[in-house]
Amino acid sequence: MTQSSQSSSTNPTFVGQRSLSGRIPSWRLWVPLLFQTSVILAAPAVPFYTVMTGKSIVLQTVPVDPYDFLRGYSQTLSYDISSLDTLRRLPGWKQLLKQQAGGKSINVPPPAPSSEYLVSGTRFYVILEAPASNKSSSPKPWKPVRVSSDRPAYLPDNQIALKGKSTGNSIEYGLETYYMPENRRDEINNDISQARGGKQRQPIVMEVKVDTLGRAVPISFWVSDRNYRF
Amino acid sequence: MVSDKFRRQLRQEAELWQAEGLIDTDLYEQLSERYQFNTLDTAARDRFVMILLGLGSVLIGLGIITFVAANWQELPRNGKVTLLLSLFIGVNTAGFYLWRQPKGAQHRLGHGLLLLGSLILGANMGLMGQMFHISGQFYELLLAWGIGVLAMAYSLRLTSLSVVAIIIIGLGYWGFWGDYVGQGWSETLAGEEFSWSSQMGQHMPLISGLMFVPLAYWCRSRAIFGLAAIAVISSLLANLYPLSWGWFSFRSTGLLLAIAFALPPALLWAYDDSLWVYGDFYSSNRQPQPLATTGSFQPLSRSLSLAFLGVVLYLLSSFFFWRILSTDYSGDQPRNLNWLPLVDALILSGLAIFEWLRLAWLSRRIRDRSDSLITTIAIGIFISLVAAIPIWHLSFTPIPELATLIFNVLLFLFAGGLMRAGLAQGERQPFWGGMVLVTLRIVTWFVLIETGLVLKSLLFILCGVVVIAVGLWFERYVRTLSIKH
Repeated sequence: MTQSSQSSSTNPTFVGQRSLSGRIPSWRLWVPLLFQTSVILAAPAVPFYTVMTGKSIVLQTVPVDPYDFLRGYSQTLSYDISSLDTLRRLPGWKQLLKQQAGGKSINVPPPAPSSEYLVSGTRFYVILEAPASNKSSSPKPWKPVRVSSDRPAYLPDNQIALKGKSTGNSIEYGLETYYMPENRRDEINNDISQARGGKQRQPIVMEVKVDTLGRAVPISFWVSDRNYRF
Repeated sequence: MVSDKFRRQLRQEAELWQAEGLIDTDLYEQLSERYQFNTLDTAARDRFVMILLGLGSVLIGLGIITFVAANWQELPRNGKVTLLLSLFIGVNTAGFYLWRQPKGAQHRLGHGLLLLGSLILGANMGLMGQMFHISGQFYELLLAWGIGVLAMAYSLRLTSLSVVAIIIIGLGYWGFWGDYVGQGWSETLAGEEFSWSSQMGQHMPLISGLMFVPLAYWCRSRAIFGLAAIAVISSLLANLYPLSWGWFSFRSTGLLLAIAFALPPALLWAYDDSLWVYGDFYSSNRQPQPLATTGSFQPLSRSLSLAFLGVVLYLLSSFFFWRILSTDYSGDQPRNLNWLPLVDALILSGLAIFEWLRLAWLSRRIRDRSDSLITTIAIGIFISLVAAIPIWHLSFTPIPELATLIFNVLLFLFAGGLMRAGLAQGERQPFWGGMVLVTLRIVTWFVLIETGLVLKSLLFILCGVVVIAVGLWFERYVRTLSIKH
């Protein structure tokens, strides 16, 4: 409290004098600027790699709020394989639950209802298989065939492993957000309501790239035979 | 920094002295040179321009962020990346070279552009995420953005950028906290991946101390030091919070409560920067020496410690608080406790113990500063009681009545001490701090107590009159003090 007044009274030459500027070398700008640029580029680096090297697959999706598909310029999507109900029927689910319990400390027993529930934060892989044939105009979605806690070392050509993470009541794959242009919102909205409102409900499918580590990036989506890519 | 007001008065006086022949033109010129009279007239205008430029930069920054959000789809992806990066680098470069000019309009414009550059950094990061449809957490973006701004603040030694960085990192931390406190971050998860952002969030007390405190000395800014202290303390408390309702039952959280209440004031009170301010860690005599290039932040740290202690004492002096603590609480027992956030509390506790041992060791040599020694001993006793009584109450026998009584006595002693210190030093802040504390406590009593309204109103009026009388007397006392000086 008293220190500041002391130091200022002994240092009156401080007045208007903090002239650091003028002699500052240029590297003092360029080093942090380079660092900031790498921070900007770091986030898209992995998705970029995935897009470049990944394999294209197709997933069945539904908008989270079916009455208002495009509320903003981004849409939250939920996939068939996001739901626990879909995954529970797959082979490998029981082992996954067992492993989840085994990873916990020994002295505390796992809660009783957990046989149907995946602890939030658990990571695992969903193995998907390509559809048998594809004659229609819009691509057919891939089907989940099993789940596994480890990434399979070998998979046939028509299968791929997609990494997911449990949030407790659903599964995230990093594919949940898709950004779209605001000015085409109405057009896409109409398309979707037509596709979903007709007699035979047309599927909405998402084209996704998956790399060898199971990381995925959304590429485009199909509403009946129309492709939207942003 | 000598204030503008003082320089203005000095110039007026010096002109008068010169006119009266008290000093000659030479001496006047020397004074004018030393106190920069010539910049006085432009100072106010410059400040106004600076504010306008700063405001303008913020508005433009917001505009750019909105523009990004409006999702411009017409450009190809590579074009967008190039455009954004060149805008980002262009604004920063222009800002830097203008700011490097000697003080003046260009310098200020450059400063504004550098601030704008730090906002464009965040906008760029957001857009990159959007272009690649990344569904990451928003707090990750904030944390990474803040670190980027921090690097620039360190390099250019700019207080304004430092404050921006601390605010962004703080927002990121609270975003993280809000996300994880609901999902039970106090558990370790079997298949969980190591993520930089969750590590940063869990160790924010240490990380923010390491990131921000040196910056305060580097920029010579009390504002940064204050924000740094708040960042360390608030993240420490926030990180302890999930543990208290997690694996522990409420009964056994005495230790956690003691850490939460006693560690911050202990750490802040004994904080000592004589090593990097005076180059002498064993110095007990803190007169500014030639080596002192920057002021010590110890007085600020101690003020913050007292403020924290005041709030804690107020909280602990209510019977209500102890009664809540007495009620047994047994919530869900998470399967696996994550101890990692406690590591920070332990390290900081170690630091606090070291600081206090050092204080004790130094006190052997001090003869002439007995007053400050007594204050430190008193604060030490207060802090020990703040730590010991919750442990006793929660871990051994509940003593709600006794604890309430003890802390009320402590609160009044503390407030009295503050007022006395304020009187002795002729300073308003501690005096009014003590007054507010006592008044608040008494008002709380009256609100909670069940008596007739008439009696209550009478007591209120009486207290109000006493407070106003004491305040007026003190203000007059301070004025006579300053005249004597």
